[in-house]
Amino acid sequence: MDYELSDAHRSLQAEMGRFCREEIAPGAALLDAATTEEAAALMKANLGKLARAGCLELALGDDPLAKCVAGEELARACPATFLTAMSSATAFGRAVRRFGTNGQRELYLPPLAAGERIGAFACTEAEAGSDLGGIAAAAEKREGCWVLNGEKDLVTNAPLADAFVVLAWTERSAGPEGGMTLFLVDRTAAGVRVGPAVETMGLRGAPTAALRLEDCVLGEDAVLGAAAGAGYNQVRLIAQEVDLALAAMSVGIGMACMEESTRRAKTRKAFGKPIGLFEGVGAKLAIMFTFTDLGRMMTWRAAWAEAQGEPDAAVLVSCAKLFTSEAATKIASLAMQVHGGHGYLKGTAAERLYRDARFAELAWGTSEMQRALIARDSLDRFRGA
Amino acid sequence: MDFSFTEEQRMFRDSVYRYAKEQLAPLSEEADLKGEFNFEIWRKLGEMGLLGLPVPERYGGAGADLVTCCLAGEAVGHAGVDGGHILAWGAHTYLCAANILQHGTEEQKEKYLPTLATGEWIGCMGLTEPGCGSDAAALTTTAVRKEDRYVLNGSKTFITNAPLSEVFIIFATLDRAKKHKGITAFIVERGFPGISTGKPMHKMGCRASTTSEVFLEDCEVPAENCLGGEGNGWLIALGGVEWDRSTIVAPFLGGHTFMLENCARHANQRWAFNRPIREFQSIQNRIADMKVYIEAARLAVYRIAASKDSGVALNPLTAAVNKMYLGDRGFEMASEGVDIFGGYGYIHEYPVERILRDAKLAQLGGGTSDIMRMIVARFMMM
Repeated sequence: MDYELSDAHRSLQAEMGRFCREEIAPGAALLDAATTEEAAALMKANLGKLARAGCLELALGDDPLAKCVAGEELARACPATFLTAMSSATAFGRAVRRFGTNGQRELYLPPLAAGERIGAFACTEAEAGSDLGGIAAAAEKREGCWVLNGEKDLVTNAPLADAFVVLAWTERSAGPEGGMTLFLVDRTAAGVRVGPAVETMGLRGAPTAALRLEDCVLGEDAVLGAAAGAGYNQVRLIAQEVDLALAAMSVGIGMACMEESTRRAKTRKAFGKPIGLFEGVGAKLAIMFTFTDLGRMMTWRAAWAEAQGEPDAAVLVSCAKLFTSEAATKIASLAMQVHGGHGYLKGTAAERLYRDARFAELAWGTSEMQRALIARDSLDRFRGA
Repeated sequence: MDFSFTEEQRMFRDSVYRYAKEQLAPLSEEADLKGEFNFEIWRKLGEMGLLGLPVPERYGGAGADLVTCCLAGEAVGHAGVDGGHILAWGAHTYLCAANILQHGTEEQKEKYLPTLATGEWIGCMGLTEPGCGSDAAALTTTAVRKEDRYVLNGSKTFITNAPLSEVFIIFATLDRAKKHKGITAFIVERGFPGISTGKPMHKMGCRASTTSEVFLEDCEVPAENCLGGEGNGWLIALGGVEWDRSTIVAPFLGGHTFMLENCARHANQRWAFNRPIREFQSIQNRIADMKVYIEAARLAVYRIAASKDSGVALNPLTAAVNKMYLGDRGFEMASEGVDIFGGYGYIHEYPVERILRDAKLAQLGGGTSDIMRMIVARFMMM
């Protein structure tokens, strides 16, 4: 039993921390406030930097713990950059890496790792999110081709993306597990239309839009992994990776909140002493530390379980994502309280992090879905007397 | 990074769990109800080697590492043994025997550890006083050196095991002006003149453990029974509470696992509105939150144990985080456990009401949650 990071992971953490502090963090406030075009240019520049630092390659790789350690540092510096990089490399990239044919991998992954092309994952629709079986998008086979129709909503990275993974029905009668397929769709394909970027509450540097597919004609080689009907399970497996990544993001946001708050608690004085020396503020710092610290351990524990192939890995990922995302919201709220009125001003880190933190609880596996999954696991174990 | 237990540790845990479930748990429900310490449970804990778990074999113990100690505590809690007997075990082994092991002279170890390790003698530690708990440095029990002995005067309260103890670790001050630097620890035997204990108190939870005041009236302690040297008592006390914040809380983790299993079973079996209540999301949410709590608490507990075993000095931050989280969230979760059982949760026949009462102690004993937050905040403000 050893709760310490290996030397390799520890030096990754230090390297990544330094890189993100110097190269990524300075642009975080601008990304949040910039207009769409400016933000897009800045985000693309950030992806280029991440690619040169080897981060996107790392995200495509097979070391869950390394991804969490690095992801925390990136999210700590700029949660929006984390979300765009993660949506491209983990949601899109890992789907291609894990399930794609050799040809699909060779086509999509090298430019993605180089930061030259950006990916997006299009699953959610206006009327279906957690309930994947409720989507309406469908592809029909016509003369050896697939004709895809549907409208995807809330697609992170859509305004920037060069390629999408799109979930659609291919055989409704087979039900979700067997009747759904993931397609690789290039932005330039006929019938692909990206809607205008929508305004989000937080993570504003990671642009989001709807994706409309109108009689989009795709070849057989657009079926991810040449596995028609495997889409539902592929999404489930990728969602587990994304949920773990969102746990790491939440830990990073918690760290940033804690650092901002500690700095504030030391420098701001009231009634003749730094406010952090008052018990009420000190207790908030302590709670921020506790939940960040335990959240990080849970995230690492889940990552380790994935690396070991433990049968409990999926439940541990759910526990980590649920714990850390709810903790991040709580921590960000405490951070704002420690900052007082100044934290309520547009443009302050506390205000930005407060908005950014809120995302993870409702993204991908929502807290409600995680609780349902975790509970089912425990309840099923004790069905008998 | 490696979160796994060794094969040996897992086997030991499993055997302790089975033993406790078969031999101890059946006796503990009645003991809790009556608020009576059960000597058969105590004897059986001793027979299993649990009372001297961290004590080296040459002093009659098992020489177990910290992770193993935590596993044993978790296993006994998991088996459904009440918090009272577990608390008695914790105070005896980790607050009394482990302190003598860590700070005692060779003579002291040889004299006290073998009888403590078997449980023949019961031990306790007296730090808290009627006028000071968290602010332990404000203690007023005095010790005065007179020739070949010390004379102790004062009183202690809330001392777990005191009514049954043969061996007391008593903290007293040689010079109140020196504040914490005057505090010194002494090994006091029940047979020494001038020591007496009060009537066992009726407690909210952990009821089967005995708790009382300790009175020291011109209590004479031989000079060689000073533990760890004059003026070092404060550091010993701090070291002791660090046990409180790790090993002693491990059984709560097991107790909550026991609770989760009971709740999950009940939710499968109890029907309402033509379906098992497990199908209601409000029930599922509580089960899920318990599971998340148990996973987080497990990491917090074993991180401390693993770090102590690897020879790293205990990080007071992680110890405080552990104690605060296990205590505060553990109490909330125990309350949710009662909710799942509804009216049945409120009666003694089902174990969840006992777990709720027992869980409260983890927020109070060995440094309150308020103090844990102050410790963490102080580090952050440095």
